[in-house]
Amino acid sequence: MTSTIDWQGYLVVQNDMSMLIQSPFMCRGQVVYGADSDATTMAIAGLQFMLSRGHSIQSVHLTEPINAEIVGLATGIDSPQINENIATSSVEWDILVGDEATLVIAHNSIERYEFDQPVGLVELEERLFDDLNDAWEKETALAHVSQGAYVSHSQYLEGARARLSLASQRLDEQSIWPPRQMDAAGLRLPSPSTALVGKATVESWTKLSAAGAPSEFSLRAPILGGIQTVFVRFEQGPAGVFLLADDLEYQPKIGDAVDFSVRKIYAQESFIRYGLKAFPVE
Amino acid sequence: MIEYLDRLPQMLGRCGSAMVDVAVIGAGQTKYGNHPSGLKGMWAEAAESAFASVDHGFEPRSVDEAFIGSVAFGGAQLGNTAALLTEHSGMDGIPVRRVENACASSGFALRDAWMAIKSGQADVVVAGGIEKMNDLSPERKRFWLGVSGDTEWERLAGLTFPGTYALMARRHFHEFGSVHDDLVHISVKNHMHGFLNEVAHIRKEVSFEKANSGFMVADPLTLYDCCPTSDGASCVILAADHVVRQFTDDPVWVRSSGAGSDRLALHDRPSITQLIATQKAAQSAYSAAGLTASDVDFAEVHDCFTVAEMMATEDLGFAQRGEGGVFAREGRGRLNEGDVCINPSGGLKSKGHPLGATGTGQAVEVFKQLRGSVEHGRQVTDAEVGLSHNVGGSGATCSVHLFGRSRE
Repeated sequence: MTSTIDWQGYLVVQNDMSMLIQSPFMCRGQVVYGADSDATTMAIAGLQFMLSRGHSIQSVHLTEPINAEIVGLATGIDSPQINENIATSSVEWDILVGDEATLVIAHNSIERYEFDQPVGLVELEERLFDDLNDAWEKETALAHVSQGAYVSHSQYLEGARARLSLASQRLDEQSIWPPRQMDAAGLRLPSPSTALVGKATVESWTKLSAAGAPSEFSLRAPILGGIQTVFVRFEQGPAGVFLLADDLEYQPKIGDAVDFSVRKIYAQESFIRYGLKAFPVE
Repeated sequence: MIEYLDRLPQMLGRCGSAMVDVAVIGAGQTKYGNHPSGLKGMWAEAAESAFASVDHGFEPRSVDEAFIGSVAFGGAQLGNTAALLTEHSGMDGIPVRRVENACASSGFALRDAWMAIKSGQADVVVAGGIEKMNDLSPERKRFWLGVSGDTEWERLAGLTFPGTYALMARRHFHEFGSVHDDLVHISVKNHMHGFLNEVAHIRKEVSFEKANSGFMVADPLTLYDCCPTSDGASCVILAADHVVRQFTDDPVWVRSSGAGSDRLALHDRPSITQLIATQKAAQSAYSAAGLTASDVDFAEVHDCFTVAEMMATEDLGFAQRGEGGVFAREGRGRLNEGDVCINPSGGLKSKGHPLGATGTGQAVEVFKQLRGSVEHGRQVTDAEVGLSHNVGGSGATCSVHLFGRSRE
């Protein structure tokens, strides 16, 4: 029997050239996504798992509802869905979307997939599941638009690569993240190219009540009992602020080490903003 | 010849080659809080109050130029705000502009007005500020809170200003051993000062126990660590030294104006337990005035959150770095009891925080304190030098002004 691996908050079962990745939550007898996960976030986690195990994946076939652009920005893996220059026949990997919150990532040389049932499923309270689904549905409606400050689609895309992959700029042996435009001499800085690696350390944290959270979170913050943000510093020097993954039971402390996983942040104008959220390193 | 010499300072001033001194000759404001008037009515009330405070009388047509700070919260009049407001306060046709630097908007309007006179381009200038925050529905208001932070990186991480200041507070606790009780002392003090202030938004004394039991807004900051959202307008009239005596024999001199800025987002700064913009503004102001923190008798500091006051006492030089908590704990900022009175008006915490009006509202308080005209029981004894400190957002911008009874 193959063991189940806990990976970025998902359950993974791996065979040689394929893997099953599944949400750890069940509701009404079905495997369902957690508070800030969907097929896109799980596809990214799955591809990152395969990369971490030494697989070389240049491109992948994706299907709806996975957002191929976000997957590409987060992992650097291309797909014919967003790049018409890729010949379909040259793509060696597929992501198959299951009926429930499950995905299979497999090399196309594999004709038959068999996975042991992942263990570690937890039951999600029906009321919580329904409320969160309703909130996301309202949030993703086209009419749901901020009346004050918010991050527009174009502004989001400008920084999306750095946001989703921690791609940093390099200047005089120093890492710069989030990306900046010019240095003190007035010269344009290079594009982000080198991902920050290793763990980050919590330097401060807060938990915002629903009343203290930005309006973009106004539908879900009351359901979640507030949202938590950590201020962290990376080993390479830069600092950043990140939400904690919504489905965590975790009280941060200064000095804790955290890692990151792509999750849904919020939606506006029918467009979901994805970003990295923090979770503790065991 | 005599006539020529009398006008020499003015002429040199207009050439920009002489140091013109600048005085506050009048100042007034609305009460802060849930104001019944709209934008135009509030501004007219503040301007009327300022005009009436000029000892020898004042006509708005004397004004050469006006700078009005406003974030335009909720979009009440986002474009051409200053033109609209001066049109409704007898200042038609003069050069005007809205100044926006988040919560420091009118601190910078004051600086711009001071610079206009210093440069010799104007003799009488109005600096003001205004914000109407409570005519929005709670739902719409939520969209506007936090518009001046780093929207792309901080707001997407769930932060509004309670959150950013909460991060600063927790880190300060960690680095320096300050504790939440220190912040409670600040809240209690400012409510005590503001209780006597007729224009304060929240005129309510608060016990230590009460202030220590508010519901959590952004851990570790509770309701009693946060300023209210207020409506309000404030107006200050500045004049060049050579025209001051036309208006008053009792001016308050602007001894200096300092300003600074810093990176917008906390994570782009080298430290989150100090505001570099405040330090720069303060150093510049002290240096220009030839004063130090020990010369200051009272200070109106930007306590949008209690932790902001704790850090400001350090950044302005009233306490050593890391000692802001001890300063608060020992009551060293209390009216006529401590080293230097911090926020005799009640500060943003009690007097209120109508974003764009706050900076010039602080100057109104300084003007009244230095002229000995505040309410009974709220006067800083023997006040000679006052300071105003106005911060934009979480510290991206800051202005510091020093005022004195004496010109030098």
